[in-house]
Amino acid sequence: MIRTLLRGGWLFLLAAAASLQGRPEINLFAWSEYVPQKVIDGFTRETGIAVNYETFSSNEEMVSKLVAGGGDYDVIQPSEYTAEALIKANLLAKLDLARLPHLRNIDPDLRHLPFDPGGDYEVPYMSGTVGIVVNTAVVHDPIHGFQDVFQPSFSGRIIVVNDNREMVSWALATLGHSANDINAETLKQVRPVIAQWIKLIKVYDSDSPKTALLNGDVDLGVVWSGEAAILWNQDRKFRYVLPAEGTHRFIDLLAMPVGAPHPREALQFIDYILRPEVSVLISNEFPYTNPNLAARALLTPEQRANPASYPAVGKLEIFRDIGKQSAAVDRLMTDLKSAQ
Amino acid sequence: MKIGSRAGLAGWLLLLPLILWFVAFVVVPTAILIGCAFCDRDDLGRIVYHFTWENFRRTVDPVYVTIFIRSIACAGLTTVICLAAGFPAAWFIGRAKPSVRSTLLLLVMVPFWTSFLIRTYAWMTLLKQEGLINGLLEYLKIIRSPLPMLYTPGAIVLGLVYAYLPFMILPIYASAEKLDGSLIEAAHDLGAGPLRVFSSVIVPLTLPGIAAGVLMVFVPAIGMFAVTDLMGGARVPLIGNVIQNQFMQARDWPFGAALGVVFLLLFAIVYWILQRAPGAAGPHHD
Amino acid sequence: MRQIGLGNRLMHRGLATWTGVVLAFLYAPIVVLVAYSFNASRLNILWRGFTWQWYVDLAHNGPILAAARNSLIVAAVATVVSVVIGTGGAWLLYRYRFRGEGAIQTLIAIPMVMPEILMGISLLLFFSRIGLRLGFATVIIGHVTFCIPFVCAAVRARLHGLDPSLEEAALDLGATPLRAFWLVIVPYLRPAIAAGALMAFTLSLDELIVTFFTTSAASATLPLRVFGMAKIGLNPMLNALSAVFVIVALVVQTGLRRLEVRAIR
Repeated sequence: MIRTLLRGGWLFLLAAAASLQGRPEINLFAWSEYVPQKVIDGFTRETGIAVNYETFSSNEEMVSKLVAGGGDYDVIQPSEYTAEALIKANLLAKLDLARLPHLRNIDPDLRHLPFDPGGDYEVPYMSGTVGIVVNTAVVHDPIHGFQDVFQPSFSGRIIVVNDNREMVSWALATLGHSANDINAETLKQVRPVIAQWIKLIKVYDSDSPKTALLNGDVDLGVVWSGEAAILWNQDRKFRYVLPAEGTHRFIDLLAMPVGAPHPREALQFIDYILRPEVSVLISNEFPYTNPNLAARALLTPEQRANPASYPAVGKLEIFRDIGKQSAAVDRLMTDLKSAQ
Repeated sequence: MKIGSRAGLAGWLLLLPLILWFVAFVVVPTAILIGCAFCDRDDLGRIVYHFTWENFRRTVDPVYVTIFIRSIACAGLTTVICLAAGFPAAWFIGRAKPSVRSTLLLLVMVPFWTSFLIRTYAWMTLLKQEGLINGLLEYLKIIRSPLPMLYTPGAIVLGLVYAYLPFMILPIYASAEKLDGSLIEAAHDLGAGPLRVFSSVIVPLTLPGIAAGVLMVFVPAIGMFAVTDLMGGARVPLIGNVIQNQFMQARDWPFGAALGVVFLLLFAIVYWILQRAPGAAGPHHD
Repeated sequence: MRQIGLGNRLMHRGLATWTGVVLAFLYAPIVVLVAYSFNASRLNILWRGFTWQWYVDLAHNGPILAAARNSLIVAAVATVVSVVIGTGGAWLLYRYRFRGEGAIQTLIAIPMVMPEILMGISLLLFFSRIGLRLGFATVIIGHVTFCIPFVCAAVRARLHGLDPSLEEAALDLGATPLRAFWLVIVPYLRPAIAAGALMAFTLSLDELIVTFFTTSAASATLPLRVFGMAKIGLNPMLNALSAVFVIVALVVQTGLRRLEVRAIR
């Protein structure tokens, strides 16, 4: 019996090993809850290229793994400030734009970002804002900004995204500073503000903050706009509020790291994402602000009316690379979070 | 009993792969860990090889000392609960009739062999705000609004106890099973009361099992960030979570390494103490 | 086997009850999970009807199936490698006297007790330093490293009962030490090797922490996927997966008891 088991096991190993080699594939390193399985499956079905989808929950985590030299990634999904830092460090490869015919669908406004004027290194994936979501069935106080959220009366009922840079930017906003105004002096100023906030926060979740809100574990919080949009679709009691003190918008991008093992397949994947009908699939599952104008035209009126997906707001600032200061931000947040 | 003839060249050559493996994948990585703790990081989080005491200075910051103490206390509490709850059960199973014993053992092993993550997740579903326990309590009108049970220190200890209880039961069971019953009878015959029998006969003889159980629960529990992350929701920072965070989001590998080195020292001390327990010959398994 | 303290009925009943409580504690959440894996409601607590839907979803979920395949591959390779190295090593250390033996024994025992997170981060630093890309190789290396001590311990325990004349007899009949090992010692060690292999296989399948630091996307194992899913929130597919785990554990355990009974003869 043992012999049969062994023989069977060996055959299984051989088959499995065979299944792993030789087929075309790309290694996708993206945010968790951001690339629908439908889209991945559709791509594989059409091109025969398998997609290994590894996830991260923050830009910093992605950079951490990227520079560790540990991952062999073909397509990564940095936010704008991270892409800026990676370009500066010569870690992103130039994209062969000729292979991206569907690039014309992207809002031209987003094509010539300040750190990549030629638009050679990245392609917008999704855009959005970070704002306040309130379960109005439980919270009856008027909530207009961060100050209203981080009140002792909401102690233990607040959720925030688990993002160091984000939290610092909110504190900066309440002090009247720009989100990119990060230096030793401003960090000293925000320290007590954040320390106070941390005492009130119950959950830190960048992957799926909507879950705790839906579960009733928390009543309000500061989350990604797409999550707020999903909540709004589920139940109109979840209102999305852009903080009065000021907020920023983010642009998540697709890029290719230098040394990617499958550059051709990576470009194929990126172009696939840029197709309007595919982009619509992404919007359906993750209702952020879609930068693909051709795709936006295909959305339902209801989707376009979602106040979290397409807020009525002018141009907001984006995060810029803060260089050395990012280490200071990380240290500050580690120290503050550890001090509970 | 050893047959012991001296190892010749052939013997050493054959043993070499094993030794090399452990040198390469245990000794060298640990050395690198210690080395990295003295380094610095750059903007993107890469390691910069330039000597500094800064990371170790940060580890003795009261913030992190508190976290170490909290983690040790948490793991300690978990160990104590596992010991208190597990010992009687392990004893009972070890001394039971063979037929009963093998069924009971099967019953204990099944959770052990079910992924600990699944078991932790099971508790998450029970404890959450709109979970089963709250639902039941509200239905029975014992409470009026749901109790926040998840994301508390209590939930963390519960999760850890649940994950590690089988690791305490099994070694103690092994010791209990091997125990010669006549020794207990002899103690009774000599007039010892049950408490005396327990402290003077049972405990010393099961000490190897207890020591093994403690070692397999206490130290791993300190660093088990998966359970504490799921049950504590990043709200109750323990050392395992902080270390993991340094290698992920906070991008400060040298600091994570420094915390790791301190943890390593702690582990070495605990190991050394437990090795001194009379009769303990290191952990043994089925 | 002796019963616990003669005439100590109350004590016996008390212990039996306590054991029952402990077992109930161990099983209650699992039972609930399995029960709810058939619940047609997503939000878990209200029972909305019986369904196999989550199991169907599970069977079609690409990432989970890939992760399960990866876990099995890693566990199989890690078990084989650790059994070969561990058994050979345990035998050599038992049969011959080596200088510095105590140190070698301690070295081997370290991964068994060292906190996994330390192993994980030190291996990550090591692979990063030597430029080895994370993937199956690195994950397997980590798993083999902590499996070997368990195999060694199981084999060593069995070797204690070895009759030295067995090997002597084989040598007298003209066998080389290697042949003697293979034809006489290994068969004797079979139950211990099986126990060690089983232990290694289980540990590898359930391993999360070391794998967390040493894996890549392609080699993600099942515990990693489950961890990711559990962090995102409650998911009825996870319930179905748990039920599958429990059934597999039950089947394996019962199978093992049967094998044990046969081996004793």
